[in-house]
Amino acid sequence: MESTQVVIIGGGATGAGILWDLSLRGIPSVLLEQGDIANGATGRCHGLLHSGGRYAVKDPEAARACAVENRIVKAIAPHCVEDIGGLFVQCSQDDPAFFEQWWRAAEAAGIPSSRLSAEEVRELEPNLAANILGAFTSEDAHVDVFRLVLANLEAAARRGGQFHTYSKVRSIRLDGGRVREVHYCDTRTGEEHDISCAFVINAAGAWAEDVAELVGVALPVVSDKGSLLVLNHRLSHRVINRCRKPSDADILVPAGPVCILGTSSIRVPSPEGLSASPEEIKQLLHQGDELIPGLADARVLRIFCGARPLYVPPATHASGSREISRSFALLDHETRDGIGGFVSIVGGKLTTYRMMAAAVSDCVAKKLGVHEECTTDKVPLRPATDNKAHKRAIRVLPLAVAEKIERRLGPEVDRVINAIKSRPELAEIVCECELVTRAELEYVLGDSTLVPTQTIADVGRRTRLGFGPCQGTFCGYKAMLAGYQTHRWTATQAANEFSAYLQERWKGQAMIQRGKQVEQLDLSHELYGMNPLVPADWRRAK
Amino acid sequence: MKSNHYNVVVVGAGFSGLIAAAAAAQRDERVALVSTGPGSFVLGAGWLKVQDLMEPSAPLELGGAIGLFREMTRLAGYPFMGQISSARSLPGIVGELQSVALAPEVLWNAMPRDGASTLIVGIRGLTCFDENFMAERLNEQARTMDSVCTYTAKQISFNRDLGMPVTTVRIAKCFDRDPGFRPELILALRQAADGFDGILLPGVLGLNSTAQQILELEQEVGCPVCEIPTLPPSIPGLRLFHHLERYLRAVGVELYRGFPVEKLEIHDGVCTELHIASPGHALILSGESVVLATGQSSASLLGEACVDHDQQMHPTNSNGSVVARNLYIAGSLIDGDAGIKGDAMDILTGYRAGNLAAATRGTYASR
Repeated sequence: MESTQVVIIGGGATGAGILWDLSLRGIPSVLLEQGDIANGATGRCHGLLHSGGRYAVKDPEAARACAVENRIVKAIAPHCVEDIGGLFVQCSQDDPAFFEQWWRAAEAAGIPSSRLSAEEVRELEPNLAANILGAFTSEDAHVDVFRLVLANLEAAARRGGQFHTYSKVRSIRLDGGRVREVHYCDTRTGEEHDISCAFVINAAGAWAEDVAELVGVALPVVSDKGSLLVLNHRLSHRVINRCRKPSDADILVPAGPVCILGTSSIRVPSPEGLSASPEEIKQLLHQGDELIPGLADARVLRIFCGARPLYVPPATHASGSREISRSFALLDHETRDGIGGFVSIVGGKLTTYRMMAAAVSDCVAKKLGVHEECTTDKVPLRPATDNKAHKRAIRVLPLAVAEKIERRLGPEVDRVINAIKSRPELAEIVCECELVTRAELEYVLGDSTLVPTQTIADVGRRTRLGFGPCQGTFCGYKAMLAGYQTHRWTATQAANEFSAYLQERWKGQAMIQRGKQVEQLDLSHELYGMNPLVPADWRRAK
Repeated sequence: MKSNHYNVVVVGAGFSGLIAAAAAAQRDERVALVSTGPGSFVLGAGWLKVQDLMEPSAPLELGGAIGLFREMTRLAGYPFMGQISSARSLPGIVGELQSVALAPEVLWNAMPRDGASTLIVGIRGLTCFDENFMAERLNEQARTMDSVCTYTAKQISFNRDLGMPVTTVRIAKCFDRDPGFRPELILALRQAADGFDGILLPGVLGLNSTAQQILELEQEVGCPVCEIPTLPPSIPGLRLFHHLERYLRAVGVELYRGFPVEKLEIHDGVCTELHIASPGHALILSGESVVLATGQSSASLLGEACVDHDQQMHPTNSNGSVVARNLYIAGSLIDGDAGIKGDAMDILTGYRAGNLAAATRGTYASR
């Protein structure tokens, strides 16, 4: 039987952050995630590294935390962050009193900002609506959520941390009121496993309630759905926030060659089976169009939904989901419920994941009698790449491709460079949108990565293959062939993987009403001879 | 500003536009087709699936539409085999067998044959096609169907530099234009095919090949040679497009290729002009009737105004009235009825629209 000190349940940013933190303190830990990395809210958000500006007025505690963590994440994981900066734009439709309120609140929360006039804003962001009155600058940035979770897991793995994806916890055995063992199963093979441990950290996000139930603890977590649209152009240089009380569709985040518009806030009964209604999508586009005229006609590549796990402490009364604090709660179930060795971390934001992880790790380390302090704010997630690596890379790859691959792989980039040197055909670019080479594909699908890959979608999360306009319809096929050629899969397994991958990618496009994306989708269905997932009346709802 | 007047102007050269133009050209002298290029043909497999398109109200019309399509391909030298009411299992891009109603011989004959020993040929450098993958998949399916046909994979290569990676278009162009390429290909295939009943290749046998040319190739190789669809750019798809266009040119349809229609002038319920976004000066066409077969991506030509269509294929707006009396829509621009969409539906609606457009010639004042 597997044995460790701490089992972490949940492979989102928080769970991965905890694994890294504990590994740095020398505490043996194993992370269990039921899907692939960033399966829950982490993998379904804007990818916004908050400056804190959004919460300055309504939730100053969360705002302050964001401002501090924003700088830390940029320092420890620069390769995961596009530090593009942000603007809080003053729209003429919005309440001008709020602008001044915001300015004062930002100052009070320690959020760096400066004022810009309408002309200055227009110069910086020519696509913004003509009636913008001005803006406040901010330190918002885009973070590649998958890269960030991967970085934490890789860093932990280098220090002995372990994790299993596609592993769902089925039961937790208690003995004498303490946690003793976790029982989980491999969701792909059905194999069952046990792991003995002294502690379980419940970092399961929207599933935290289900996990708590396994030890008989009531932990009410509300799922609040947010829908987001991926648009086929980088419509702004910076993160654009609307300077008003937080509402729907008031954030636009550039993310590489595309941008992400969102979001909404709707209570849902469960984090699974989420979809966006045609009205919701129309509303998002309409609001976005107020920020950037013409946005409503942009090509929508994908629509996705995530469930924010919101924890409502029993004593508070909050009217709507936007009223619930975005700060987090650390629950020690030994004192709260008499269950030793079980701790939950709920709520919070992606931006403050490290802080949340630190809080839990401090708590658990103390209980284990480990006196190591938290150092995750100082230790970079990845050792720096040496300068010569760049020179070696550009000898075998075009500059743009070399830069991307260095950013993604860091010190591992030499594996890819060497592979291309011995087999030049591996330099072929398989995904043109994200410049993924055949060499990188084989590396990701192979045995030498720190974070194993099981499916084509997993490949996508590690390389961003399929995140562009084709949504994996064509590059996914080549990824399938790569898996077959490297003997990862038999031909039938490969075809099944691809079919499952396509269905998943198509789900995110099925909600798009009309336009080029829909057209390509229909044509791809014809080409691959597969039946579309979506019933006809989905699209006919006008 | 140059103005050109036609009996019927068709916009869009997908299945629906090409058939609409052909249908109109059967009745009218002056037909024009405006398009930006082969569009969706580059993505399709180059065959026709009819699937569950069972038109309860007009089965004869479907027959007429498919009949015209077959006539076009026949006269272009690239006839389609098969019938609407039946289907054949043909190997598709993921190595699975797909149910296809009509296809040109070069695809049609790829059907698995009991007792046959088939060679699947890959081409070195053509990374979008893996012959081992294809062979393994087809063998697996033959097993599940209790068939005794077998597939073996081999790779051939060429002396010339085809670039890296090699693309289907590169090979197809060599096939079409380079006189030295075909003999090289034939020799390589003949050597590889020794002892096999037939060959399956990725779709690379030229962008303009006729059935006769492919038959001649087979005779020189010494056994049947068929194609399997690949990732785009689809050579069989583009080949079909070229043949259909050639037919249209031969029957006198005027082709305006390369630039989109950017505006429709509609006055008093009549579409009077189409403005084509050509560089230099604007090109303006007018037609007594206009058929829009521009696909999903160009829905904005009609704006929010168009929500549906009536029995006469006129686009209608939200209060049910017709956008323009001489305007028709066809193809995927129409939201599929009961979810039925696809190439066969496009051919049907294009045929209908083209016939309706031609039938109204002379009814409305022309410029």
